[in-house]
Amino acid sequence: MTVRLADTGDRIVLKPCIHDYQVNCGNCRLNSICLPLALESDDIEQLDNIIERSKPMQKGQHLYREGDGFKSVFAVRSGAMKAYKTTDDGREQVTGFYFPGEILGMDGISNNLHASSAKALETAAVCEIPFSSLEKLSAMMPSLQRHFFQLMSREITEDQQLITLLSKNSADERVASLMLSISARNSKRKLSATQFRLPMSRVDIGNYLGLTVETVSRVFSRMQKLEILQVDNKEIKILDIPGLQKMANVTA
Amino acid sequence: MTSILPSMAVDPESSPSHQADLELAARYACEGPRYTSYPTAPQFRQDFPLDQYLAWQQREGDHKRAPLSLYLHLPFCKDICYYCGCNKIVTRKKGVARQYLDHLQREIEQQSRLVGGQRPITQMHWGGGTPTYLDNAQLTELMHMLASHFRLLDKDYREYSIEIDPRTIDLGTIALLKGIGFNRISLGIQDFDPLVQQAVNRVQPYEVVAPLVDKIRSHHFRSLSFDLIYGLPNQDRYTMQETLRQVNSLRPDRIACYNYAHLPERFSSQRAIDRLALPSPQEKLLLQQMISHTLQDAGYLYIGMDHYVLPEDELARALQEGRLQRNFQGYSLHMADDLLGLGVSAISQMGDFYLQNERELEAYYRLVESGKLPFTRGCKVNTEDKLRRHIIMSLICDLRLDIGDCNRQFGIDFGTRFQQELAALEPMVRDGLLEISEQELVVSQRGRPFLRNLCMPFDAYLKAHRGDQPAPSFSATI
Repeated sequence: MTVRLADTGDRIVLKPCIHDYQVNCGNCRLNSICLPLALESDDIEQLDNIIERSKPMQKGQHLYREGDGFKSVFAVRSGAMKAYKTTDDGREQVTGFYFPGEILGMDGISNNLHASSAKALETAAVCEIPFSSLEKLSAMMPSLQRHFFQLMSREITEDQQLITLLSKNSADERVASLMLSISARNSKRKLSATQFRLPMSRVDIGNYLGLTVETVSRVFSRMQKLEILQVDNKEIKILDIPGLQKMANVTA
Repeated sequence: MTSILPSMAVDPESSPSHQADLELAARYACEGPRYTSYPTAPQFRQDFPLDQYLAWQQREGDHKRAPLSLYLHLPFCKDICYYCGCNKIVTRKKGVARQYLDHLQREIEQQSRLVGGQRPITQMHWGGGTPTYLDNAQLTELMHMLASHFRLLDKDYREYSIEIDPRTIDLGTIALLKGIGFNRISLGIQDFDPLVQQAVNRVQPYEVVAPLVDKIRSHHFRSLSFDLIYGLPNQDRYTMQETLRQVNSLRPDRIACYNYAHLPERFSSQRAIDRLALPSPQEKLLLQQMISHTLQDAGYLYIGMDHYVLPEDELARALQEGRLQRNFQGYSLHMADDLLGLGVSAISQMGDFYLQNERELEAYYRLVESGKLPFTRGCKVNTEDKLRRHIIMSLICDLRLDIGDCNRQFGIDFGTRFQQELAALEPMVRDGLLEISEQELVVSQRGRPFLRNLCMPFDAYLKAHRGDQPAPSFSATI
């Protein structure tokens, strides 16, 4: 097994096919995001043994539903997922989008039930990390659990920060913040920070940001006019990062 | 002297009504318990009936399904605050938190096996020490540990709170705390004056606290609470005035003011405090009055026992509706009858039992390692205790006692049974602290600062100490 971790620098060996579910943690190109970095290669092998890699999920397929017992957390390997809650009057409230290398399902941690549902926005592959096995493994490998909770706490923190950011700001600020967030997450996994395809619909974006679809489209048009973004349906090209940051009301 | 703003300086002695309050306060300054339980903790003994507690837990019944409150004690602090009288360990040694969590896990396993996993956890509080001594990963791990052994709730009405030391918290941690389920935060402010902060070794300027408060607000925590202390070295009316102005500008939902009791023979850390820098008893009374007037003028409601809340806070509503309770964390909404304390020195109140965990860390570790429950002291509440507890807690929480209800509930005649106690209350009735009629005892607005005085006649153990450790010398009531 060729183990290449982040200590080898920025270059990570890329597997040719990201939908390959034979991939293991050691050679996964996302391991610098997803894996506890300080793990020894032997540890990675053990971790690798408990992780279950499912076949690719189809668009619209559920990973878990609100109220399901919290047994595992999931790492997105390819594609994208969305998490949502069902409101009291039966409407869907999108609570997050998840891209490759990101972990979802951790909303179950505070009461042992999933507080939201998760479904695939497009064809996607996930790694399931069962918590009970993880706990068993941690007894042999105390560093593993520590690193896992580190990872979890980081994900939870980022989630909450984004929620807060989105909850208080203007429509422009919200859309700009989401674009910046996707851009930053892309660059974290060594993809283009300025050019990407949105996996979610305008409806989902609006729902997530608490805006109507029309408002989302209007903000996109405004951004185009200001030459901040180039928007072609779901294809996004960021032309002016400082301009986008200014619009999001954040300083670099 | 810092921050005297002449235009705002009020002389608390100037108003005649303030002067009268001050005289009253001086007259009732005496020693007494804070009644976070009855019997109070000094009455606990090593030879408490643990077997009866275990038997009660093993019986089926409503108590296996009723809501439960959790308290977690996290004893470590990075630095010592000289005033502190809590059970804490000041250390920066690497690995202490890890070792503690490993033991806490074992205690949680044992306690939850006994309590069962059915009881909804309506309230939870993490106190210390400094709970945020734990790093983000450890905070997450501990919440997960609790969630996998108890029935935690994600309902809006839950009250999950944590104490935060403003000096050591990273703003990102606030987001994490929200994400792992906390909806209330309590900040140990104590005093904003730089000289006071230096004198107690807790330097946390207003400029550090204000952005933290903003961050907490932006994450929509349900409630933010400040702890303040009066009677600290270098405090005087001018520093207090400025501190209160700053506190008010940050507008916490709840404020708890604690009276600093200087007991250097009992709490070694207090030996670092210069006795001569402490405000005089008269100045201290004045500070207490000033806090009371300033906060109430600013729109806070006075609950009692040095607790203030904004009128829109749930505690204010609960006070009106008689839904307040008092336990080891002070006042809270009455959502659960039982409280399970976890961690070194934590106290549980379960059914008819009070139980305290071992207070020494190493001994606590040994108990947990041997697979035993870490209770080392406790007491079983008898019928007499329950009656007196009902009276004391009614006065403290509801500010009134319904005599008819008390007679029915306990099968007594209040007037005959408590003849002596009523006689002892007479001077307080004359001073307008309390009204007594055939139907009820009612604490007046004027009497609220003197709840301890009003309760002490009903405390049977002040005359007949039964704990197996020497009776405490109480912190001065005022």
